[in-house]
Parts: sequence; structure tokens; C-alpha cells
Amino acid sequence: MMVADEVPLDDKAKRMRDLLSSFYSPESAMSTGTDSAKHASPDDINSNSFDPDHYMNLMVHKSNLEGLLQRHVEMAAEIKNLDTDLQMLVYENYNKFISATDTIKRMKSNISGMETNMEQLLEKIMSVQSRSDSVNTSLFDKREHIEKLHRTCNLLRKVQFIYDLPDRLNKCIKSEAYADAVRFYTGAMPILMAYGDSSFRDCKLASEEAMATIVKNLQGKLFSDSESIQKRAEAAVLLKQLEYPVDNLKAKLLEKLDQSLKDIQLKPEEIKDVSVDLTPSEASINEFVEAVRAFRVIFPDSEEQLVTLAKDLVTKNFAIAEEYVQTRVCAADLLGVLRVIWNDVLLLDEVLQEAALSNHSLEAAKAVVMSYIKSAFSHLLQDISDSLLKVLKKDGMGEYSLEVALDASTKAVLQGGMNILQEFRKLLDHNSGILVRLRELTIDFVQEGIQDFFRQLEDHFLRFSGRNNSSAFKDHGLVEGAQGDKAFAGLVLVLAQLSAFIEQTVIPKITEEIATSFTGGSVRGYEYGPAFVPGEICRKFRSAGEKFLHLYVNVRTQRISFLLKKRFSTPNWVKHKEPREVHMFVDLFLQELEAIGTEVKQTLPQGKRKHRRTDSNGSTASSRRNPLREEKLNRSNTQKARSQLLETHLAKLFKQKVEIFTKVEYTQESVVTTIVKLSLKSLQEFVRLQTFNRSGFQQVQLDIQFLRIPLREIVEDEAAIDFLLDEVIVATAERCLDPIPLEPPILDKLIQAKLAKSKEQNAIPS
Amino acid sequence: MQGASSGIGYGLKYQARCISDVKADTDHTTFLAGTLSLKEENEVHLIRLSSSGTELFCEGLFSHPNEIWDLVSCPFDQRIFSTVYSNGETYGAAIWQIPELYGELNSPQLEKITSLDGHAGKIKCILWWPSGRHDKLISIDEENLYLWSLDASKKTAQIQSQDSAGMPHKISGGAWDPHDVNSVAATFESSLQLWDVRAMGKTISIECSHVRSVDYHPKRKHVLVTAEHESGIHIWDLRKPKVPIQELPGHTHWTWIVKCNPEYDGVILSAGTDSTVNLWLVSLGNDDVSTESQTESPTHWVDPLINTYSDYEDSIYGLTWSSREPWIFASLSYDGRVVVESVKPFISKK
Repeated sequence: MMVADEVPLDDKAKRMRDLLSSFYSPESAMSTGTDSAKHASPDDINSNSFDPDHYMNLMVHKSNLEGLLQRHVEMAAEIKNLDTDLQMLVYENYNKFISATDTIKRMKSNISGMETNMEQLLEKIMSVQSRSDSVNTSLFDKREHIEKLHRTCNLLRKVQFIYDLPDRLNKCIKSEAYADAVRFYTGAMPILMAYGDSSFRDCKLASEEAMATIVKNLQGKLFSDSESIQKRAEAAVLLKQLEYPVDNLKAKLLEKLDQSLKDIQLKPEEIKDVSVDLTPSEASINEFVEAVRAFRVIFPDSEEQLVTLAKDLVTKNFAIAEEYVQTRVCAADLLGVLRVIWNDVLLLDEVLQEAALSNHSLEAAKAVVMSYIKSAFSHLLQDISDSLLKVLKKDGMGEYSLEVALDASTKAVLQGGMNILQEFRKLLDHNSGILVRLRELTIDFVQEGIQDFFRQLEDHFLRFSGRNNSSAFKDHGLVEGAQGDKAFAGLVLVLAQLSAFIEQTVIPKITEEIATSFTGGSVRGYEYGPAFVPGEICRKFRSAGEKFLHLYVNVRTQRISFLLKKRFSTPNWVKHKEPREVHMFVDLFLQELEAIGTEVKQTLPQGKRKHRRTDSNGSTASSRRNPLREEKLNRSNTQKARSQLLETHLAKLFKQKVEIFTKVEYTQESVVTTIVKLSLKSLQEFVRLQTFNRSGFQQVQLDIQFLRIPLREIVEDEAAIDFLLDEVIVATAERCLDPIPLEPPILDKLIQAKLAKSKEQNAIPS
Repeated sequence: MQGASSGIGYGLKYQARCISDVKADTDHTTFLAGTLSLKEENEVHLIRLSSSGTELFCEGLFSHPNEIWDLVSCPFDQRIFSTVYSNGETYGAAIWQIPELYGELNSPQLEKITSLDGHAGKIKCILWWPSGRHDKLISIDEENLYLWSLDASKKTAQIQSQDSAGMPHKISGGAWDPHDVNSVAATFESSLQLWDVRAMGKTISIECSHVRSVDYHPKRKHVLVTAEHESGIHIWDLRKPKVPIQELPGHTHWTWIVKCNPEYDGVILSAGTDSTVNLWLVSLGNDDVSTESQTESPTHWVDPLINTYSDYEDSIYGLTWSSREPWIFASLSYDGRVVVESVKPFISKK
């Protein structure tokens, strides 16, 4: 150890250590020996293989004398040192040896007394062992007995438990501690399984009975609506523990949920009252949400079914909503319904994110909004049609006034149209929930809807007018025959004016409304342009209006034409008797015109009355012509009559060509005038197909003369009417074998008589 | 008064209703027109269009004993024509032959081949066998149809068969089907009735009101055109007699007469009491079957009215295409003015 402490590891110390170690342990010395042998070289003085001669030679060869001398001195000193070290070592180790020898001596003396002690000890232990063996044997029986007893006691306790199980279970049933019951039962289960068939049969049966009750109760609980969801969930868990077929239960429960969903009927009527916070359906939705939540806890694998259920619910609600909008609803109601549904959806979304209900319902809401818009338009269409078709219906007193019908229909179109847009605007203004996402779509729908609406409206109009009379009235079971004809004409007239109204008033207003509120729907894509094209609609209605006006004129003219035809094709004009009075067809004709006048006044605006009386050379020409011809005819000379035609032509040459067939305008006078013109033209044509004798000619002359004054009253273009009336007389004269007119006094007298008679007739009913 | 019109005018002396194309004259475009005057001596004008096509001149002028309500030129002999006439009280019908007195315009008497006696009521029209030389004729009065067998050389005509309309309404006119010579159409006030000539029995009836004129489409079987007083022009397919395959608005007042062009498909001419002649171009489809789809696709609707000739002073009752130059038509207004127009500028467009 000292050596280790001596840090400078010089040769001396090293050598010492080696020596010591070789002393104590020859192996290690050996190792050091081999270790040093490694470096061994014959010239190393410390190695075992040191060769003094070789070393000497080396020294001699290497060093000079001085060096050798010095080396000699050094070596002498070293040897001295070594000697002292050796001496020291010997002393030290000697001491140790002495003490060791002493110790050994002492030990020798101590051990000699120990053997006897040991023998004594052995003896004693032997006796202890024999005693203990005897005790053991004597106690063995008792111990055995005790152990047996203990086991029996345990067994008995278990048996007791099992025997008590039914009671216990019943007690649990009473206290509704089903969880404990289930625990007990599952604990007893192995025994019951093992011995149930033999010893514990009764017990098993009893407890199974009790368990059946429990299961029943649990099921009852599970399915009872009054229990809270948590309790029901617990029940489900317990049932699961009882290895009751849970899938079956789940199916049943889902079914029940499904059934309960059926009760969650969205009742749109109830939603109207917004102030009520929790409508029944909302409550039930909450319940449903709870149920879903609980369900997910109880049956973690039931998501799929729940998603289906929730989707079904939402779909159903939207279906109801869609159905609901088919009836007349205002936007607020729709909004209410949508709000409720959306809330439900949000609630459901919370518990069932997998369902992606909001996307699903977005689609559905789209459909609802679309169908709402559609149905709104179709209702409007229906309204308009209804108010129009009232014209055809006859109420107690007489025909439905055209004025009222027109009023109602214009109102229906304008107000209805604006209202509908207002309603739609509510949809857009509503800035919450689902509708915001549908905004652009809604705009598109509205635009498309309105375009469609007007197209359909025009279609409807055309259909009304296109029906030929008989079928139209058979369809409606309405008035037949002449009355129906009249009503049909009225309808056409109302249609005409309505079309004009739509074109001039409604479309611009609606366009304005659309422009302010319904722009920005871009889903359609720009290449298609906006869906609502007012220009197109205007064009359609303009042409439709003109068509109706023409149709009205045609229908009316046709009736008159029929009248005239009967008048002129029935009698044998060649054998006509002398005229006694104005023929009654004139009355019928004027009646027709009067009826037209009434209809027209009820519907069309009054036009500027054109006073042709003052200007026209037409009228002067005719007034100049009249006496001329009368004078000529008076001459009752066939020879003279020959030149008559020529003179007529001549008169025509000087007269401005009267435009008979002018465009019909939307004014009372224009329509009446057109009808009168067409009728008179027809009259002329009918006359041209006949051949008259003198009396026949005079009769026509008389009738026409009588017509002249009342016709002038109602038309705007007197010149044309005068011209046409003259034409009739000329035509009659041309077709007359003996054209001698009545003397003016007689003519006057007969006309006065007729006037007096009609006055009298008028006086009687009034 | 002719104005800017392209028409060539010709004046008859008196009022007139009827003009007929002389179909048998293949060398010239010739028309026959008869006047309608109660008291004057009526005339039949043989009018010829000059070869340059710019002038109408009178080829022959013949006096006719009574006012003429209907005049049809014989389709196989240019000298023969039929008239329906009236003296104011009674009606008659006769077949006439133009005497060989060309160049002499002194109103020579017409040779009457035979008169078709036996009618009681107003005679409406006479129909010649539609094509080729044939001896059959049909005359129609308000209530009856007569089929005649004419022997021009013997100057006799005999009634072959006869049928009465048996309707409350009176017959107003008729046309002989050029495709089916056994079929004749007659117009009534409220319907169009077809007769089978062999059995003299009614076949199809089409409901339409106030038919005034009827004309068969010369190229298409089953297609015919009617003109109605109030409701314009209807085009019918006889296989589908319920609804017309096409409707045209007609005239402002009555549409009196309607004529299909003998050569150009779909070109229809109508004249009316509003003193205008309308030229229509109707697309009837390429095939008879496709007519249906044509009417059902109004997307490519174009105004079928291509021109209105309004340079007339009075109602137009007479209208005929020239069969020799099918782009030319002659119209006759009541004041006795014959106007011949060419529709070439409108037809060439198509």
C-alpha cells in the first residue's frame, strides 16, 4: 500500500512492490515476471534475463571511460540503496510473522474445548425435536376437524346466500335496486350453473323467476317513456350484463325511437305562434336529442342507425314543409317552419356529427324554397284564373260584371305579383339559419319563377281564349248558348285589357322590384343571362293582348254576322212586300252593339273621340252624294240607273279612300267602331249576294237609314260609317231589279214611327 | 289608281265575281272572266297576257244572257267553259263553246252546248273532272249534287247520279279531289263534307264554320285548304279531320277564296272582302307524315304571310293561278277590275 502511495514510480519502488507481491502471491509475481519479461532484454538490469557480460560489453562499447565511471558510481549507489531497502523489508515482515505465529498458538488452545460443547448442544436439540413431534401428533386431529368445520362453514354461507338469493332478489326488486340484484345474481351464477340441476333446483328456479321479473322490469324500464334516459340507459347496461340479447333490445329500442319520431310530427300550423318558446314538437325534438345522446352511450355501435333515423326525421320534416308550402302560406310562416327545422337540425347535428345533417338539410331546404316559390306562383296563377273565370259564371242577377272581374284580375295580377315579391324578399332579408346560404339560389329561383309565371299566365290566357265556346262552357257547367257566348266574349275582352295592363304596368313594376331586390343570383352563370327577361314577357303580352282584342272583335262580329246572315238569306227578296216598318233585325243589331258597348265601357279606357264630323271630306262627299243619288234614283228611269254605277265610281274617285280596316286600339270607341265597320261590311257583302225587288231595296234603305243615327252616336269614325252605310245602299241598288227609293217623307214617317215605338217599349219596363 | 303596283290591270265593263284560268290553252296565258250585272247585257271576256308579260288584251268578248255567278274553263278544251247564271230570280247552269270568230270583237253569241237543267235551288258551282279529257261534270246547288255525263259532240248532258245534302245548312261551294277522282268536297255553313262520286254517298265530314272556299293541294294527297269567313284559312289533312294542321289568320274581313299554287308547294293565295290578296308560304313538311311534327314545333315560327296585294278598290271574289305560268295569278275585284300579278320575286326567295 505504501508503494501505491508513493506516487513517483521509480525503479526502486517498483522493484519493491514486485518483490512483495511475489512473496504474498506467487501467481501475481509470476505475472509480473512475465510482464517484465516482455520488456526483457539482456541489457535491462532489472529483468530476469539480464546478462551481465552482454551488458558489460554494451557499456564498454557504448560509453567512454568517463561515462563508465559515472555509471559505476551510479550503480554503486543504487546497490547500496537496494541493500537498505531489503533490510527494511525483512524487518517489517518479520514482525508480522511473529504476531501471526502468536495468533495461531492462541487459536490452537481455544478450539480444544469446543467439541464437548457442541455435543451437548446436539443432545438438547434432539430432545426438543422429539417433544415437538409429540405435541404435533396430539393436536393434529383437532386441527383437521377445525379446518373441516371452517370449510363447511364457508360452504354453508354460500349455500345460505344462494338460498337467500330469491328473497334477496325480491327485496331488490321491491327497492328497485336492480344493480345489486344483477350483481348478486351474476355472483351466484357459477354455482347455479354447476348445481342448478340437482341440489339447488328450487332455488335456481326461484331466483330465475325473480331474475325474469327483474329482466322484465328492466325491459319495462327501458321501454317506458316516463323513465329518464339515464335510467333507461342503466337498465340497458344491466340487461347487457345479464347477457340478455342486447341487439334485439337495441333493435326494439330503435324501433321505439323511430316510433316516437313518428309522433314528432312537425305541425306547421303550430309554428305560426312564434311567441311560444317551446312548441310540443320542439320538446319532443329535445327528447329525441337526449335519447340519441343516451343511445350513443348505451350502444356505441348504433350510430349508423341513428344517422338514418335523424336523416329520416329531417327528411320527413322537410317533406312536411314542402307539403305545407303547397298550401297558401306566407313567407313568415315558411320562415317559421324552416327556423324550427333548422334548429332541430342544429340540435341533431350536435349529437350526431356523422350525419352531416346540415348539408343534407341544405339540399332539402333548397327544394322547399323552390317548391314554395313555385307554389306561390301557381297560387297566384290560380287566383288570377279564378277571378277571370268569374266572368263566365252567372250569379243570380245576371252576368258577372266585367268591370268587377277586370278590377279583380288586375288587382290579382299587380297586387298578387307585388305581394309575392314582398314575401320572397322576406326570405332574402331573413339573415339567419339556412336561408342565408340559399340566398343566391333563391334569387335565381325567383327570377326563373317569375319568368315562368308570366309565360304560364300567357299560356293560360291563350287557353281560355282558345277554347271554343261550347267546350269551355261544358267544362265549367256554365251558362249555355247565347248567354255563354256573350260571357266568353266578355272574358276575351277582359283578357285583352288585362294583357295590356300587364304589359304596360305590371311588368315595369315587377322589373323594378326585381332590379332592387333580386339581383346577384349568379349560380346560373352569366352566359345564360338573368332568368327574368321583361322584354320577352312584354312582347308576349303585347301580342297576346292584340290577339285577344281581335278575337273579341271577331267573336262579336261573328254574332252580328250570324244575325245579318239570317236576316238576308232567309226571305225571298225578289218577292218582298212593301216596307211597313223598320225591320226588327235592326233592334237586334243595336242590342248587340249596346251589349258590346256595355262590355267595352266596363273594361277599356275611353279614347279621344275623333270628331270627324267637322273635318273630313269623306263626310262632305257622302252628304253631297246622298241627295245626288236620291235625286237620281227618284227619276225611276232604268236608263238612268245604268249610269249609276259609273257615277258611284266617279264619286269614289273624288272621295278620299276611306280606310275601313284600321288597327284596333285599346279604347272603347275603337273597338266598337271596328265591330260596327266589320258588321256593316258584312252587311254589304250579304246584300251583294241577293237580288232585290223594289220593295226589298226600299226595306233595306229604310233599315239602313234608321241605323244611321244610332250608329253615329257610338262610333268614333263617322265618316267611315257613313261611307259604309252608303255602300250598303249602293250595293242594294246594284242588286235591285228596280231600284226606286222611298220618298223621303215616307222614310221619315216610318222612322219616326219606329222611334216612337221603341220609346214606348223602353217606357214600359222602366 | 294603280300606284306602284306591279300588277297589270284590265277593266271589265260591269261588276264581276268570277275568273277562270284557261287550262287547256297551252300556248298562251289566258283567263276567262264573266260579269255580274242584273240589268245590263253581261259579257264573258277572254283575256290574254301578252307574250312579253306586260300587257293584258282582250282576245274575245262574248255576250252572255244572264249575270254570271260562276265560270269555269274546261280543262281539256280551251273553247269550252261552264257558267252558273241567274236572272235575278232563278238560276241556271250551262256549258258554252266559244265560236270560231277570233279577231272579231262584236260580242258574238256564244254557242250553248247544253244547259244543265234540273236544279231547283241556287246553283253554286260546276266542277269539271279534275284532269284530262273526261265527260264527267258535277254541279252543286244549295241542297244537291249532280253528276253529269257530257257529250259535247251530241250537245247533251245527262244526270248520272244525284245526292242531296240532307242538312239544315246549305252548300256554298265545292272542289274535286285531283288525287282521288272519286272524291268531291262540298262546303257547308258549318262543315266540310266529302262525297264519294261512285256511290254518291257522304264520307268524311270536317267541322268548321262558315266555309266559303275549298281547294285541294295539287301535289299532296289528303291535304286541302279551306277559307272561312271569320276565322281565316285552315289547312287540313283528311286523315286527321279533327283539327287543322295549320291555321292562317286570313283577312281583315271575310276570306272569300283560297287557291293553292299548282306548282310550288305551300304557296297559297287568298282573297277577301277587305280588298286585298294575300300570298302565303306555308311549310307543310317534307313528308306527309312529318306534318304533325311541323305544327308541333312552333319554335321556328315565321310569318307565313309573305305579301299583301292591296291595290284594289272593292272586294275580291275571283282569283286563279295560271297553270301555264304558275307564278302568275289573276284576281278580279267586284268593280270589274282584273289584275294579273307575278309572285316570282317572292317565290324565288325561298
